[in-house]
Amino acid sequence: MKGPGFFEADGRQMSKGAILLLMGPFFLLVFVAFLYPLGNLLSISVLEPTPTLANYERVFDNPIYATVLLRTFRIALLVSILSLVLSLPVAVLMANSRGPKAVLITACILLPFWSSVLVRTAAWAILLQRNGMVNGFLQAIGLTSEPLRLLYTQGAVVVAMTHVLMPFMVLPIYGALRNIPPAYNRAAAICGAGPLRTFWEVTLPLAMPGIIGGFILVFLTALGYFITPSLLGSPQEMMIATLISQQMRENLDWPFAAALVGVLTLIVTVITLIFSKVFQFDRMMGGRA
Amino acid sequence: MNPRSLLLHAYVYAVLVFILLPILVILPMAFSETTYLTFPPQGLTLSWFGDFFTDSRWMASTWFSVKIAVLTAITTAVVGTMATYALVRGANAMGTLFQAFLIGPIVVPHIALAVALYLFFQNAGLSGTTLGYVLAHSVIAMPFTVFTVAAALTSVDPALEDAAMSCGASRFNAFRLVTLPIILPNVISGALFAFIISFDEPVIAFFLAGIRDKTLPRMMFDDIEQNLTPIIPAIAVLLTLLSILVLLAAAVLKHMADRNKGAEGQ
Amino acid sequence: MPQAASPHSKGALIEIRGLGKRFGSVVAVDDVSLTIDAGEFVALLGPSGSGKSTVLMSVAGFERPTAGQILIDGVDCTGLPPNKRNIGMVFQHYTLFPHLSVGDNVAFPLKMRGIGKAERRRQAEQALEVVRLSGYAERMPKQLSGGQQQRVALARAIVYNPRVLLMDEPLSALDKNLREEMQIEIKRLHAELGFTVVFVTHDQGEALTMADRIAILKAGRLQQVSPARSLYERPSNLFAAGFIGEMNILPVTWDGEKATFSNNQDIRLPAEALIEPIRPGAAVLAVRPERLSVAAPGEAGTWKATVRDVVYAGAGSLLITHLDDGSEVRLRMPSAGQANVRSGDTIGIRMPPEAVLLYPSGDAA
Repeated sequence: MKGPGFFEADGRQMSKGAILLLMGPFFLLVFVAFLYPLGNLLSISVLEPTPTLANYERVFDNPIYATVLLRTFRIALLVSILSLVLSLPVAVLMANSRGPKAVLITACILLPFWSSVLVRTAAWAILLQRNGMVNGFLQAIGLTSEPLRLLYTQGAVVVAMTHVLMPFMVLPIYGALRNIPPAYNRAAAICGAGPLRTFWEVTLPLAMPGIIGGFILVFLTALGYFITPSLLGSPQEMMIATLISQQMRENLDWPFAAALVGVLTLIVTVITLIFSKVFQFDRMMGGRA
Repeated sequence: MNPRSLLLHAYVYAVLVFILLPILVILPMAFSETTYLTFPPQGLTLSWFGDFFTDSRWMASTWFSVKIAVLTAITTAVVGTMATYALVRGANAMGTLFQAFLIGPIVVPHIALAVALYLFFQNAGLSGTTLGYVLAHSVIAMPFTVFTVAAALTSVDPALEDAAMSCGASRFNAFRLVTLPIILPNVISGALFAFIISFDEPVIAFFLAGIRDKTLPRMMFDDIEQNLTPIIPAIAVLLTLLSILVLLAAAVLKHMADRNKGAEGQ
Repeated sequence: MPQAASPHSKGALIEIRGLGKRFGSVVAVDDVSLTIDAGEFVALLGPSGSGKSTVLMSVAGFERPTAGQILIDGVDCTGLPPNKRNIGMVFQHYTLFPHLSVGDNVAFPLKMRGIGKAERRRQAEQALEVVRLSGYAERMPKQLSGGQQQRVALARAIVYNPRVLLMDEPLSALDKNLREEMQIEIKRLHAELGFTVVFVTHDQGEALTMADRIAILKAGRLQQVSPARSLYERPSNLFAAGFIGEMNILPVTWDGEKATFSNNQDIRLPAEALIEPIRPGAAVLAVRPERLSVAAPGEAGTWKATVRDVVYAGAGSLLITHLDDGSEVRLRMPSAGQANVRSGDTIGIRMPPEAVLLYPSGDAA
């Protein structure tokens, strides 16, 4: 493969051939396992059964599907807001801590991040079942006399998804906060700003790219989330991913499933492009390292 | 500690409890003697681990997942390092296209990719095959490997390769003997992350599974959906140990990488 | 002309013929021709962006020239990759391989040449001895100081007895004392081992002390190639004159014999003051500050000037003055035994005609 002669073509500069040889496998892989399959699926959404936009019209015209779409948006937004409310203080303390405290917080964020989504979803299923811990707790403090139906509800989906997606919010915000030179805080203090004022006037605006980035990341991931809603949600109140799966696997309605994928992909792509400036994927990934 | 700081700490620790609670609840259940899942667990037994390790279906799916994850790790490490090297050392013009190809598979929801791959693999006869899984998992794990490798590569002074070439090394040898050893810890941690991403991947696995060959996450999904047996907490313990192991390995590798880099005149 | 290469020289002859390098529309090097004799030490000197590094990198093989040829010992190696040129090179930031020990770093070129392990170790230790670092082979590069690291880089560059040693601002990362020590070290190695050295620097002091000849580049073009003394005393154009050392530059009118200043005072110049023939008319007079001296105001043959600043700098002092027409003239003189001149004083400046050089005006500075 990498013949030495090939690389020496032009001194320090790599030749076009060498670059192609090195990047070829990558582009081929992405084409075979991403671009072509997705393009193929999307073409089905407009070409079958005949060249038509009918599949897309169905998504928006049929109130059942429009409701699913709306519900998906609502849940994703709720999860993002909850994640932000829970994450911001954690990220702030994490960025301002040193030593064992910093290690403890980081470990608490990273460990769930790297543990299986299925394990965490199963844990919520156990916690929320009829004779589970949450019901036990509610009965013990006298909030309810009967065990409540917590599992297979929208509430269960929102809580579990917030739990699963929170690290995606903490890490970008933490990254943005850590990038703010401490000198700015000192400068603000010299200018007469108290700690709260400094946070509000200096820290928060500077951390905004991280906050927006985290928010969008969580929102987009929640939009297309499959595992948690499928296992913890109510079949009567499904989200779009579950609907896609159902149309494809149970109704075998490929063109309609493809149209649903098309709608979801379009929404996600547009939002990503709009916010592409604040997205620093490498930093977000860096959090996993 | 002033009241404001106290409030912040209290809030953060409450959130951390929320984050850890599910895991702290599920792990002890792996050792419970009851056949239904209840908290607090009763008795102490390792029989659920025994069940997991002796059940041929669980074992088969575990090995299947291990095989896929190892191949995915190798694929992303090799393909990702090659492409990243070309990008960092001269193909800047391709940066935008490269990034679009890299990010695309993880920006598009996994469900969309899974459905698209399901259709394509059905037609191509790749459904449920090792190759199909490795292809699919490689594209979603690739960004993590590439960013880890790119971080290392961009911090390696290109003059080091010039120096190697001025010493008589060919360009390939300059890479093999100088650059690769320096970035190797990062390449390995990138591969480790790819391994975990593949090993834990539930969505694509859900759609691509054949009738015979199921990955571990797919088996877990079925179990959780149907009866949620205490084998799940046992697997949770094992997977958590694996995650801790990978995180520790990553920390060790980061330490090695820092040591490798230390020499440049500071 | 350059000193003749000694017959025992182990260095190679380097011929650069009509070298050109453009990056897109930017011309980095434009028609540079330079012959470097076997065993010669040549410094490429110029401001940043002058193309000096590109010339060096072309000789090393890291840049492929867009025009011209590079011959080493008569062999055209313009298209040869760096690893086939048998050149030793020292880089700006040491560039020791961080994952290899000092010994393995030095032995690296030998390994590339297929030399056995025991022999590698022996020769590497020998090279380390030459740079006075014997016993350091087992250390890692980061355990060494900057100066020691640069010595290791030097050992790595000379370990296989290359006939050419290229250095790309090798001392710029070192502090002043270390830099001077390394300058002596490199000169010593050059004298002992006899290889040809091409040395890129932007530090004129370094170029003047170290090199047999200095090549001055500006905007990709060669300005002058001369030994240090003639470069300093007779710079061939106004750029070289201004680039090397300090130079007072004053506009005059030239009539073929006398240079006349704006205040109508004139000075008769010997023929040697002209580097090249100059037509009568506007010209530029150049004189080094240390060639001027202070006289009483109004003394015959002196220029009247007002002292603006006296800068005491230990052994020497700098006088910044200006003439009637406002043009600035600087004088450097030993601090000891100097008349007490103060800011605001009026003085006379004595300008010996043999210290003066005349350049055509419009010769870009």
